Amino acid sequence: MNSVGHFKVQDLSISFGGLKAVSKFNLELKPMSLTGLIGPNGAGKTTVFNLVTGVYPPDNGTLDLDGSNLNGKEPCQIAKAGIARTFQNIRLCGEMTVLENVMLSYHMKKPYSLLDTLLRTPKFYAQEKKVTEEAMALLKVMKLDSKAQSLSRSLSYGNQRRLEIARALGTSPRVLLLDEPAAGLNSQEKVELMHTIAEIRDKFKVTVLLIEHDMKLVMGICERITVLDHGEVIAEGLPKEIRENKKVIEAYLGVSE
Amino acid sequence: MTKWTFWVGTFVAVAALWGINYSLEEYANPYIVRVIINCGIALILGLSLNLVNGCAGQFSLGHAGFMGIGAYTSILLTTLSNIDFFQSPMGIGWAVVAGGGAAALAGYLVGLPSLRLRGDYLAIVTLGFGEIIRIFFLNMEFIGGARGMPGIPRESNFFWVYLWAAVTFIFMYRLIRSSTGRAILSIRENEIAAEAMGIDVARYKVVAFVISSFFAGIAGGLFAHYQGFIDPSTFNFNRSVEVVIMVVMGGMGSFTGAALGALLVTLLPELLRVFAEYRMVIFSASLVAVMLWRPMGIMGHKEIWHFFKKKGEA
Repeated sequence: MNSVGHFKVQDLSISFGGLKAVSKFNLELKPMSLTGLIGPNGAGKTTVFNLVTGVYPPDNGTLDLDGSNLNGKEPCQIAKAGIARTFQNIRLCGEMTVLENVMLSYHMKKPYSLLDTLLRTPKFYAQEKKVTEEAMALLKVMKLDSKAQSLSRSLSYGNQRRLEIARALGTSPRVLLLDEPAAGLNSQEKVELMHTIAEIRDKFKVTVLLIEHDMKLVMGICERITVLDHGEVIAEGLPKEIRENKKVIEAYLGVSE
Repeated sequence: MTKWTFWVGTFVAVAALWGINYSLEEYANPYIVRVIINCGIALILGLSLNLVNGCAGQFSLGHAGFMGIGAYTSILLTTLSNIDFFQSPMGIGWAVVAGGGAAALAGYLVGLPSLRLRGDYLAIVTLGFGEIIRIFFLNMEFIGGARGMPGIPRESNFFWVYLWAAVTFIFMYRLIRSSTGRAILSIRENEIAAEAMGIDVARYKVVAFVISSFFAGIAGGLFAHYQGFIDPSTFNFNRSVEVVIMVVMGGMGSFTGAALGALLVTLLPELLRVFAEYRMVIFSASLVAVMLWRPMGIMGHKEIWHFFKKKGEA
């Protein structure tokens, strides 16, 4: 049994001025589980991602990945600890090629030293080749291998989203956070993406948490769902339970007078 | 490329440099030699600043300050100290390296706190740093103060300047085409994404800054030992701006671009001497023209050989 990728968030809170963006957020992700985080616009979903990845320091709460505490760590340290993410508003390195974008995430594994770089030692060539091959394999999973040499800004919107996932996988994460991976995709692409996400989870043995607005996708692949509204968890459970939950329906559709 | 061809190539290149150096000293017009050497020093400055301004995307306006630190540290050893070793040509070479080291240390000390700032703010801090350095030299009587420092041994020549320019180019080129290079580029492209991919952004900003300062210090040392005389006004704000112009005009992040920019910024004012008092007017107008014609710089992000490859290959 794979026990890596057990992620626990307890009592996570942050306020911006007087606004409680997230309060007392609790979440437990079992290894290799696939969980959805949903909620109306402005519910605080992306803020949760930013808190978990260290972009904002939380006012309160603990983050625990496989028994090690991630509180107060810098985003790059959290990435090293094994949490990778994608961004809602795509953040690629536009002037770098698709392949270079993925190779970037191998840097933290320190494939070779600065001396190897400058002297172009055999180790440099061997490691560079290895990293290229691994990155190409990731691109192949995301069906981007034919575009490896194009600049990432020249990719179509859907492909840019796929590249973000490939790049996040390059860090060999234990937990993968996907921020609206299906936003802006057409229904055909969404179905493909659904399969890809499930495939990634099985192939890379990674725990997945995804924010998504497309209910068909969320209900289709997520094993558990957490619902956030006004920064608070209003429901947690199996997709079936969430669909019938009164509070959730109210949050999305409003209360009938 | 095999090891064997690499060493033969290096040997041929060094021999060629030495040969050119010899013929320049023997036969060429001293004015021409001076312009060629100024080009070489500009190459080192432009290539080094390109790492920070072009590749890492951090706008630094204090490059002349680091050049000054390199220059003054090296003359401290060769001209002011009484150590015999630093009077020999070999010792002067090492004094120049020590100047680079001192500049790198200064780059580290300045970079650590100030690289948390972005864009305009960083530009102002580095500008301030450059001025502090200049004023410091201006008020230090033992290194000449405002009168400057004469009697520096004139040991640097075409050979040493272009050898260092070549070293700078190879260093930068190899650095940027590596894992560390991708980390530095990613800071320019998207800091937040870089951070999320496990790149310690703060660290690599400082790394780029230190490397860049080192080569600026080398350029300063070579300059001092070519001129035989330096004063603090040599390293003023204008000099920093000149280096920024090289990088921006050549294309941010392109090393062949920075080299081209360095040559243009050094050569154009010389070539325009025929226009006498209109010289700088025409020079400035040509800078404006370049920026209008190619806002991303002459090369953009590309290196020169990318233009000769077929489309889609780059």
